[in-house]
Amino acid sequence: MGQGPERHLNRREVLALGALGSAAAAEAVSGHDGMLGGPIRRYTDTLQWNEGLTDAPEAAEAGGGWRYLNDGEVGFLTAAVDRMIPPDPTGPSASEAGVVVFLDRQLAGEYGQGARFYLEGPWGKGTESQGYQSRFTPAQFYRHAIAAVEKAVGHSENGKAFKDLAADRQDALLKKMESGDLQLDGPITSKAFFAFFLQNVLEGYFSDPIYGGNKDAAAWKMIGFPGAHYDYSEWVTAYNQPVPVETVGLTGRNAWNRG
Amino acid sequence: MAKAMPKVDVVLVGFGWTGAILAQQLCDAGLTVLALERAASRTTPDNWATTFDQDELRYMWRHHLFQNVKYSTLTFRNNVNQTALPMRHLGSFLPGTGVGGAGIHWNAQIWRWLETDFKLKSHNEARYGKQATADLTLQDMPVTYQELEP
Repeated sequence: MGQGPERHLNRREVLALGALGSAAAAEAVSGHDGMLGGPIRRYTDTLQWNEGLTDAPEAAEAGGGWRYLNDGEVGFLTAAVDRMIPPDPTGPSASEAGVVVFLDRQLAGEYGQGARFYLEGPWGKGTESQGYQSRFTPAQFYRHAIAAVEKAVGHSENGKAFKDLAADRQDALLKKMESGDLQLDGPITSKAFFAFFLQNVLEGYFSDPIYGGNKDAAAWKMIGFPGAHYDYSEWVTAYNQPVPVETVGLTGRNAWNRG
Repeated sequence: MAKAMPKVDVVLVGFGWTGAILAQQLCDAGLTVLALERAASRTTPDNWATTFDQDELRYMWRHHLFQNVKYSTLTFRNNVNQTALPMRHLGSFLPGTGVGGAGIHWNAQIWRWLETDFKLKSHNEARYGKQATADLTLQDMPVTYQELEP
Protein backbone atom coordinates (compact mmCIF):
# COMPACT_ATOMS: atom_id res chain seq x y z
CA MET A 1 0.00 0.00 0.00
CA GLY A 2 1.03 3.65 -0.13
CA GLN A 3 3.09 5.46 2.42
CA GLY A 4 0.31 6.49 4.77
CA PRO A 5 -1.10 4.20 7.41
CA GLU A 6 -3.82 1.89 6.16
CA ARG A 7 -7.20 3.00 7.34
CA HIS A 8 -10.89 2.93 6.47
CA LEU A 9 -12.68 6.06 5.44
CA ASN A 10 -15.37 6.99 7.89
CA ARG A 11 -18.78 8.04 6.68
CA ARG A 12 -18.07 11.76 6.87
CA GLU A 13 -15.00 11.42 4.70
CA VAL A 14 -16.94 9.44 2.10
CA LEU A 15 -19.56 12.21 1.97
CA ALA A 16 -16.87 14.84 1.53
CA LEU A 17 -15.29 12.78 -1.23
CA GLY A 18 -18.70 12.49 -2.94
CA ALA A 19 -19.03 16.27 -2.96
CA LEU A 20 -15.61 16.60 -4.54
CA GLY A 21 -16.58 14.04 -7.17
CA SER A 22 -19.74 15.95 -8.11
CA ALA A 23 -17.82 19.19 -8.44
CA ALA A 24 -15.40 17.53 -10.80
CA ALA A 25 -18.25 16.06 -12.87
CA ALA A 26 -19.98 19.44 -13.08
CA GLU A 27 -16.74 20.99 -14.30
CA ALA A 28 -16.63 18.52 -17.15
CA VAL A 29 -19.87 19.77 -18.71
CA SER A 30 -19.18 23.50 -18.35
CA GLY A 31 -19.99 25.49 -21.42
CA HIS A 32 -23.71 25.11 -20.74
CA ASP A 33 -24.75 28.22 -18.89
CA GLY A 34 -27.22 28.01 -16.07
CA MET A 35 -28.80 31.19 -14.75
CA LEU A 36 -25.65 32.32 -13.01
CA GLY A 37 -23.31 30.78 -15.52
CA GLY A 38 -23.20 27.44 -13.74
CA PRO A 39 -23.36 24.18 -15.60
CA ILE A 40 -26.70 22.68 -16.50
CA ARG A 41 -27.33 19.46 -14.66
CA ARG A 42 -28.92 16.68 -16.63
CA TYR A 43 -30.94 13.83 -15.22
CA THR A 44 -31.66 11.02 -17.63
CA ASP A 45 -32.74 7.37 -17.55
CA THR A 46 -34.61 7.78 -14.30
CA LEU A 47 -38.39 7.90 -14.03
CA GLN A 48 -40.63 7.84 -17.06
CA TRP A 49 -42.86 10.78 -17.83
CA ASN A 50 -46.24 9.80 -19.20
CA GLU A 51 -47.35 12.53 -21.53
CA GLY A 52 -51.07 13.17 -21.18
CA LEU A 53 -51.29 11.34 -17.87
CA THR A 54 -49.59 13.93 -15.74
CA ASP A 55 -51.46 15.66 -12.96
CA ALA A 56 -51.12 19.00 -14.73
CA PRO A 57 -53.18 22.04 -13.65
CA GLU A 58 -56.35 22.99 -15.47
CA ALA A 59 -56.22 26.47 -16.90
CA ALA A 60 -59.07 28.89 -16.30
CA GLU A 61 -61.38 29.16 -19.30
CA ALA A 62 -60.19 31.94 -21.54
CA GLY A 63 -62.45 34.29 -23.42
CA GLY A 64 -64.90 36.93 -22.34
CA GLY A 65 -68.13 36.48 -20.46
CA TRP A 66 -68.78 35.38 -16.92
CA ARG A 67 -69.10 31.74 -15.91
CA TYR A 68 -70.65 32.28 -12.48
CA LEU A 69 -70.97 35.92 -11.49
CA ASN A 70 -73.95 38.05 -12.44
CA ASP A 71 -73.60 41.67 -13.55
CA GLY A 72 -74.35 43.10 -10.12
CA GLU A 73 -71.71 40.88 -8.50
CA VAL A 74 -69.17 41.83 -11.16
CA GLY A 75 -69.89 45.50 -10.43
CA PHE A 76 -69.44 45.06 -6.69
CA LEU A 77 -66.31 42.91 -6.98
CA THR A 78 -64.63 45.13 -9.57
CA ALA A 79 -65.12 48.20 -7.38
CA ALA A 80 -64.12 46.42 -4.17
CA VAL A 81 -60.96 44.71 -5.46
CA ASP A 82 -59.78 47.98 -6.98
CA ARG A 83 -60.00 49.67 -3.58
CA MET A 84 -57.97 46.81 -2.08
CA ILE A 85 -55.37 46.99 -4.85
CA PRO A 86 -55.76 50.29 -6.76
CA PRO A 87 -53.74 51.04 -9.90
CA ASP A 88 -50.54 52.94 -9.29
CA PRO A 89 -47.21 53.47 -11.06
CA THR A 90 -45.79 50.21 -9.66
CA GLY A 91 -48.45 47.92 -11.06
CA PRO A 92 -51.98 47.33 -12.32
CA SER A 93 -55.11 47.41 -10.19
CA ALA A 94 -56.62 44.12 -9.12
CA SER A 95 -59.29 44.20 -11.82
CA GLU A 96 -56.77 45.23 -14.50
CA ALA A 97 -54.75 42.19 -13.46
CA GLY A 98 -57.79 39.95 -13.97
CA VAL A 99 -58.70 39.30 -10.34
CA VAL A 100 -62.45 39.41 -11.05
CA VAL A 101 -61.96 36.90 -13.88
CA PHE A 102 -59.99 34.75 -11.44
CA LEU A 103 -62.78 34.95 -8.85
CA ASP A 104 -65.40 34.10 -11.48
CA ARG A 105 -63.52 31.05 -12.78
CA GLN A 106 -62.69 29.87 -9.25
CA LEU A 107 -66.31 30.18 -8.11
CA ALA A 108 -67.57 28.45 -11.27
CA GLY A 109 -65.07 25.64 -10.84
CA GLU A 110 -64.49 22.96 -8.26
CA TYR A 111 -63.30 25.38 -5.59
CA GLY A 112 -66.50 27.39 -5.80
CA GLN A 113 -68.60 24.25 -5.80
CA GLY A 114 -67.05 23.17 -2.51
CA ALA A 115 -65.23 20.15 -3.94
CA ARG A 116 -62.92 20.24 -0.92
CA PHE A 117 -65.36 21.46 1.72
CA TYR A 118 -67.27 19.23 4.13
CA LEU A 119 -70.81 20.60 3.85
CA GLU A 120 -72.92 18.10 5.81
CA GLY A 121 -74.32 18.42 9.34
CA PRO A 122 -74.09 18.74 12.25
CA TRP A 123 -74.42 22.50 12.05
CA GLY A 124 -73.74 25.12 14.66
CA LYS A 125 -72.58 28.68 14.90
CA GLY A 126 -69.19 27.55 16.11
CA THR A 127 -66.41 29.47 17.74
CA GLU A 128 -63.80 31.48 15.86
CA SER A 129 -61.30 28.64 16.26
CA GLN A 130 -63.77 26.20 14.68
CA GLY A 131 -63.41 28.11 11.43
CA TYR A 132 -65.78 28.05 8.48
CA GLN A 133 -69.17 26.75 9.61
CA SER A 134 -71.36 28.05 6.80
CA ARG A 135 -73.68 25.69 4.91
CA PHE A 136 -72.75 27.45 1.71
CA THR A 137 -70.25 26.42 -0.91
CA PRO A 138 -67.79 29.25 -1.61
CA ALA A 139 -69.87 30.19 -4.68
CA GLN A 140 -73.10 30.37 -2.65
CA PHE A 141 -71.22 32.18 0.11
CA TYR A 142 -70.21 34.95 -2.29
CA ARG A 143 -73.71 35.19 -3.76
CA HIS A 144 -75.41 35.57 -0.38
CA ALA A 145 -72.72 37.81 1.08
CA ILE A 146 -72.62 40.26 -1.83
CA ALA A 147 -76.43 40.50 -1.85
CA ALA A 148 -76.42 41.19 1.89
CA VAL A 149 -73.64 43.78 1.58
CA GLU A 150 -75.43 45.59 -1.24
CA LYS A 151 -78.64 45.59 0.82
CA ALA A 152 -76.83 47.17 3.77
CA VAL A 153 -75.11 49.66 1.47
CA GLY A 154 -78.45 50.60 -0.14
CA HIS A 155 -79.88 51.39 3.32
CA SER A 156 -77.00 53.59 4.39
CA GLU A 157 -76.17 55.24 1.05
CA ASN A 158 -79.54 56.39 -0.29
CA GLY A 159 -80.17 53.33 -2.41
CA LYS A 160 -76.88 53.47 -4.25
CA ALA A 161 -74.90 50.40 -5.20
CA PHE A 162 -71.37 49.96 -3.84
CA LYS A 163 -69.79 50.57 -7.24
CA ASP A 164 -71.45 53.98 -7.57
CA LEU A 165 -70.03 55.36 -4.32
CA ALA A 166 -67.04 57.65 -4.01
CA ALA A 167 -63.75 55.91 -3.27
CA ASP A 168 -63.57 57.18 0.31
CA ARG A 169 -67.09 55.85 1.04
CA GLN A 170 -66.11 52.51 -0.48
CA ASP A 171 -63.03 52.43 1.71
CA ALA A 172 -65.05 53.22 4.80
CA LEU A 173 -67.47 50.40 4.03
CA LEU A 174 -64.68 47.92 3.37
CA LYS A 175 -63.13 48.85 6.73
CA LYS A 176 -66.48 48.28 8.42
CA MET A 177 -66.65 44.88 6.74
CA GLU A 178 -63.13 44.03 7.85
CA SER A 179 -63.94 44.87 11.47
CA GLY A 180 -67.37 43.24 11.29
CA ASP A 181 -69.13 46.51 12.12
CA LEU A 182 -71.22 46.41 8.93
CA GLN A 183 -74.37 44.57 10.02
CA LEU A 184 -75.67 42.13 7.41
CA ASP A 185 -79.00 40.32 7.18
CA GLY A 186 -78.66 36.57 7.02
CA PRO A 187 -76.16 34.06 8.35
CA ILE A 188 -72.91 35.55 6.97
CA THR A 189 -71.09 38.22 8.95
CA SER A 190 -69.34 40.99 7.07
CA LYS A 191 -66.13 40.08 8.91
CA ALA A 192 -66.27 36.44 7.73
CA PHE A 193 -66.96 37.51 4.17
CA PHE A 194 -64.18 40.10 4.14
CA ALA A 195 -61.58 37.61 5.39
CA PHE A 196 -62.63 35.07 2.77
CA PHE A 197 -62.71 37.68 0.02
CA LEU A 198 -59.33 39.22 0.90
CA GLN A 199 -57.67 35.81 0.77
CA ASN A 200 -59.15 35.15 -2.69
CA VAL A 201 -58.13 38.60 -3.97
CA LEU A 202 -54.53 38.00 -2.95
CA GLU A 203 -54.66 34.58 -4.60
CA GLY A 204 -55.99 36.11 -7.80
CA TYR A 205 -53.43 38.89 -7.93
CA PHE A 206 -50.39 36.74 -7.18
CA SER A 207 -51.10 33.18 -8.31
CA ASP A 208 -50.07 31.81 -11.65
CA PRO A 209 -51.59 33.56 -14.68
CA ILE A 210 -52.97 30.19 -15.77
CA TYR A 211 -55.89 30.77 -13.36
CA GLY A 212 -57.05 34.00 -14.94
CA GLY A 213 -55.58 36.59 -12.56
CA ASN A 214 -52.06 38.06 -12.46
CA LYS A 215 -52.50 38.90 -16.14
CA ASP A 216 -49.23 38.89 -18.07
CA ALA A 217 -47.58 38.04 -14.75
CA ALA A 218 -47.81 41.75 -13.95
CA ALA A 219 -47.93 41.19 -10.17
CA TRP A 220 -44.83 39.01 -10.31
CA LYS A 221 -42.96 41.54 -12.43
CA MET A 222 -43.94 44.26 -9.96
CA ILE A 223 -42.30 42.43 -7.05
CA GLY A 224 -39.40 41.05 -9.09
CA PHE A 225 -40.44 37.41 -8.93
CA PRO A 226 -39.55 35.66 -12.21
CA GLY A 227 -42.16 32.95 -11.74
CA ALA A 228 -42.32 29.23 -12.36
CA HIS A 229 -38.79 28.48 -13.46
CA TYR A 230 -37.71 24.89 -12.98
CA ASP A 231 -34.85 25.55 -10.66
CA TYR A 232 -33.69 28.49 -8.58
CA SER A 233 -31.03 26.59 -6.69
CA GLU A 234 -28.20 28.65 -8.16
CA TRP A 235 -29.79 31.74 -6.61
CA VAL A 236 -30.27 30.40 -3.12
CA THR A 237 -27.25 32.23 -1.75
CA ALA A 238 -27.48 35.28 -4.04
CA TYR A 239 -29.08 37.39 -1.34
CA ASN A 240 -30.68 40.76 -2.15
CA GLN A 241 -29.84 40.54 -5.82
CA PRO A 242 -32.39 40.93 -8.57
CA VAL A 243 -32.93 37.82 -10.68
CA PRO A 244 -32.70 39.17 -14.22
CA VAL A 245 -34.41 36.37 -16.09
CA GLU A 246 -37.59 36.46 -18.08
CA THR A 247 -40.75 36.01 -16.03
CA VAL A 248 -42.54 32.82 -16.92
CA GLY A 249 -45.75 31.09 -15.80
CA LEU A 250 -46.78 27.44 -15.76
CA THR A 251 -47.76 27.51 -19.40
CA GLY A 252 -44.13 28.20 -20.23
CA ARG A 253 -42.98 30.09 -23.24
CA ASN A 254 -43.75 29.50 -26.88
CA ALA A 255 -40.13 28.62 -27.43
CA TRP A 256 -40.52 25.63 -25.15
CA ASN A 257 -43.41 24.09 -27.04
CA ARG A 258 -43.02 21.53 -29.75
CA GLY A 259 -43.72 22.80 -33.22
CA MET B 1 -69.62 -12.28 2.52
CA ALA B 2 -66.06 -11.80 3.66
CA LYS B 3 -63.50 -13.27 1.33
CA ALA B 4 -60.78 -15.27 3.04
CA MET B 5 -57.34 -14.40 1.71
CA PRO B 6 -54.18 -16.46 2.16
CA LYS B 7 -52.59 -15.85 5.53
CA VAL B 8 -49.48 -13.69 5.69
CA ASP B 9 -47.02 -13.02 8.48
CA VAL B 10 -47.39 -9.27 8.50
CA VAL B 11 -49.99 -6.83 7.18
CA LEU B 12 -48.85 -3.25 6.72
CA VAL B 13 -51.55 -0.57 6.67
CA GLY B 14 -50.23 2.17 4.41
CA PHE B 15 -47.32 1.85 2.05
CA GLY B 16 -45.52 5.18 2.22
CA TRP B 17 -42.07 5.87 3.59
CA THR B 18 -42.56 3.97 6.85
CA GLY B 19 -44.44 1.05 5.33
CA ALA B 20 -41.93 0.60 2.53
CA ILE B 21 -38.94 0.63 4.87
CA LEU B 22 -40.62 -1.84 7.20
CA ALA B 23 -41.60 -4.07 4.29
CA GLN B 24 -38.03 -4.18 3.06
CA GLN B 25 -36.73 -5.18 6.48
CA LEU B 26 -39.47 -7.73 7.08
CA CYS B 27 -39.09 -9.34 3.64
CA ASP B 28 -35.33 -9.49 4.12
CA ALA B 29 -36.02 -11.32 7.37
CA GLY B 30 -37.94 -13.94 5.39
CA LEU B 31 -41.47 -12.96 6.37
CA THR B 32 -44.44 -12.81 4.02
CA VAL B 33 -45.69 -9.26 3.93
CA LEU B 34 -48.88 -7.75 2.57
CA ALA B 35 -49.16 -3.96 2.32
CA LEU B 36 -52.56 -2.30 2.08
CA GLU B 37 -52.66 1.12 0.43
CA ARG B 38 -55.96 2.89 -0.14
CA ALA B 39 -54.86 5.41 -2.73
CA ALA B 40 -53.28 5.51 -6.16
CA SER B 41 -49.57 5.49 -6.74
CA ARG B 42 -47.70 8.67 -7.51
CA THR B 43 -44.50 9.37 -9.33
CA THR B 44 -42.33 12.44 -9.48
CA PRO B 45 -42.68 13.08 -13.24
CA ASP B 46 -46.45 12.63 -13.28
CA ASN B 47 -47.47 14.22 -10.00
CA TRP B 48 -45.00 16.99 -9.34
CA ALA B 49 -43.23 17.57 -12.58
CA THR B 50 -40.87 20.53 -12.79
CA THR B 51 -43.25 22.00 -15.38
CA PHE B 52 -46.05 22.54 -12.87
CA ASP B 53 -45.02 21.80 -9.30
CA GLN B 54 -44.31 25.46 -8.48
CA ASP B 55 -48.06 26.07 -8.27
CA GLU B 56 -48.71 27.69 -4.90
CA LEU B 57 -52.43 28.14 -5.48
CA ARG B 58 -53.12 24.50 -6.26
CA TYR B 59 -50.77 22.83 -3.82
CA MET B 60 -50.79 25.18 -0.86
CA TRP B 61 -54.13 26.98 -0.87
CA ARG B 62 -56.36 24.44 -2.64
CA HIS B 63 -54.77 21.44 -0.88
CA HIS B 64 -54.53 19.48 -4.09
CA LEU B 65 -52.43 16.62 -2.70
CA PHE B 66 -54.05 16.42 0.72
CA GLN B 67 -56.94 14.42 2.08
CA ASN B 68 -60.28 15.74 0.90
CA VAL B 69 -62.46 16.50 3.92
CA LYS B 70 -65.55 16.48 1.71
CA TYR B 71 -65.62 12.71 2.06
CA SER B 72 -64.29 12.28 5.55
CA THR B 73 -63.56 14.85 8.19
CA LEU B 74 -63.44 15.05 11.95
CA THR B 75 -65.20 17.12 14.55
CA PHE B 76 -63.36 19.08 17.16
CA ARG B 77 -63.71 21.47 20.06
CA ASN B 78 -61.17 23.23 22.19
CA ASN B 79 -62.71 22.41 25.55
CA VAL B 80 -65.52 20.31 27.00
CA ASN B 81 -67.87 23.28 27.33
CA GLN B 82 -68.01 23.71 23.56
CA THR B 83 -69.99 21.68 21.05
CA ALA B 84 -67.74 19.80 18.66
CA LEU B 85 -68.30 20.73 15.01
CA PRO B 86 -66.90 19.35 11.77
CA MET B 87 -63.70 20.75 10.36
CA ARG B 88 -65.10 21.98 7.01
CA HIS B 89 -61.87 22.52 5.22
CA LEU B 90 -58.25 21.88 6.03
CA GLY B 91 -56.31 24.50 7.87
CA SER B 92 -54.41 23.92 11.08
CA PHE B 93 -52.97 20.60 9.93
CA LEU B 94 -52.67 18.96 6.55
CA PRO B 95 -53.09 15.20 6.38
CA GLY B 96 -51.70 13.66 3.21
CA THR B 97 -53.20 11.03 0.96
CA GLY B 98 -51.97 8.73 -1.78
CA VAL B 99 -48.82 6.66 -1.74
CA GLY B 100 -46.36 8.49 0.47
CA GLY B 101 -48.98 11.18 0.96
CA ALA B 102 -47.55 12.38 4.24
CA GLY B 103 -43.98 12.02 3.02
CA ILE B 104 -44.41 14.24 -0.01
CA HIS B 105 -45.24 17.30 2.05
CA TRP B 106 -43.19 16.37 5.06
CA ASN B 107 -40.78 18.93 6.27
CA ALA B 108 -39.00 19.18 9.56
CA GLN B 109 -35.70 19.57 11.24
CA ILE B 110 -34.26 16.39 12.63
CA TRP B 111 -31.81 17.16 15.34
CA ARG B 112 -29.31 14.56 16.34
CA TRP B 113 -30.52 12.82 19.45
CA LEU B 114 -28.78 13.42 22.74
CA GLU B 115 -27.22 10.45 24.45
CA THR B 116 -29.95 10.63 27.07
CA ASP B 117 -32.73 10.51 24.47
CA PHE B 118 -31.92 6.83 24.00
CA LYS B 119 -32.42 6.00 27.68
CA LEU B 120 -35.14 8.31 28.91
CA LYS B 121 -36.40 5.83 31.48
CA SER B 122 -33.14 4.98 33.18
CA HIS B 123 -31.78 8.51 32.79
CA ASN B 124 -34.80 10.15 34.43
CA GLU B 125 -35.01 7.50 37.13
CA ALA B 126 -31.37 8.03 37.99
CA ARG B 127 -31.82 11.77 38.02
CA TYR B 128 -35.24 12.23 39.63
CA GLY B 129 -36.00 8.88 41.30
CA LYS B 130 -38.43 6.11 40.42
CA GLN B 131 -41.30 8.06 41.96
CA ALA B 132 -40.94 10.84 39.37
CA THR B 133 -41.34 8.51 36.40
CA ALA B 134 -43.94 6.16 37.86
CA ASP B 135 -46.83 7.64 35.83
CA LEU B 136 -44.91 7.98 32.60
CA THR B 137 -44.80 5.46 29.77
CA LEU B 138 -41.07 5.69 29.27
CA GLN B 139 -38.79 3.05 27.84
CA ASP B 140 -35.13 2.89 27.00
CA MET B 141 -34.29 2.27 23.34
CA PRO B 142 -32.68 -1.09 22.60
CA VAL B 143 -29.69 0.70 21.06
CA THR B 144 -27.41 3.37 22.45
CA TYR B 145 -26.06 6.61 21.07
CA GLN B 146 -22.58 5.11 20.99
CA GLU B 147 -23.73 2.23 18.78
CA LEU B 148 -25.29 4.57 16.21
CA GLU B 149 -22.80 7.42 16.23
CA PRO B 150 -21.39 7.88 12.77
